Amino acid sequence: MDRETGVLALAVVTMLAVLAAVSPILPANGESFSELGILGPGQQIAGYPTTVGVGQQFTLYVYVGNHQGEAEYYQVMTKEGSQATVISNSTSADLPPVLVSPLVLGDNGSTIFPVNLAMSTAGLNQRLIFELWMFNSTTASFGYTGLWNQIWLNVTTT
Amino acid sequence: MHRPECPYQAWGLGASPMKVVLIVVITALLLTAEPQVTSAASQATFGGTSLAVQSAFIAVQTAGKDGGNITSLVAELNGALALVQKASAENSSNPSQASVDLQSALVIAQQVQSAAATVGRQGISTRQVQFDFSVASAVVIMGVAVALYVYGDRIYRRLWLRVYGDHVVREVG
Repeated sequence: MDRETGVLALAVVTMLAVLAAVSPILPANGESFSELGILGPGQQIAGYPTTVGVGQQFTLYVYVGNHQGEAEYYQVMTKEGSQATVISNSTSADLPPVLVSPLVLGDNGSTIFPVNLAMSTAGLNQRLIFELWMFNSTTASFGYTGLWNQIWLNVTTT
Repeated sequence: MHRPECPYQAWGLGASPMKVVLIVVITALLLTAEPQVTSAASQATFGGTSLAVQSAFIAVQTAGKDGGNITSLVAELNGALALVQKASAENSSNPSQASVDLQSALVIAQQVQSAAATVGRQGISTRQVQFDFSVASAVVIMGVAVALYVYGDRIYRRLWLRVYGDHVVREVG
């Protein structure tokens, strides 16, 4: 190995070693996001109820994940809507929640928890809407994250 | 007229200082005694506990940003939230238990907020140590690299001489 090659190898090895040494103190630059998912009674993406009676109890599971880069305080708002209910990634459903599930998650944390529900209104194409709200430390209030999910249900009177 | 000195005289209908004092004491006790019927936890109590949880969360979030290990604090906060939910569910059926649960949640939130400050300070300290170690490591690596560049040839020759210096070259065949 001639001297030039040796110097080049030394420079490369030095740069890699320095990068490895300072990598723990370099700021993380990843994308920050939250996750919301609704799971069926078996805690899987399957087996969702399609027809329930008014007042009939059933259980679903909610998955929430935090990749915001810091601890977050969430609220999962469960709302009972219809086909006409308006909801989007920027506007939450203008309905009172039938259930509010608060939880705190550390960064890169996730959880699955059960929700016991019962529909109060009979009809075809009723919607069970789940919205994820997040606490804003600056304003000391919860804000809609734009994440939502829904389950379509035919609710019978019997 | 001599009045008989009966020990029960004070309980009679006639006005006496002892009787007046007794009536005043009983009235005062009746007025100040707390009602035994437990009232449901008010919205203000729920609001106060929620605010305490929010404050505790802000403290935990700050401690996490400072590099502290907030895993146990997050678990405790979730415990407090579960108690608030339980209290909300049972407030109409079991108000006394709801009040107890709310009080427990409040205590947990206050403890978490207090502990978060310590965890945050530990995080800052750990982060500083890590920063110092990383910078020192980088400086040492670069120093070794410069030393190798300047003295590398000399060091290599000396090492070669130390390893092969005793070797004797013999004629083969």
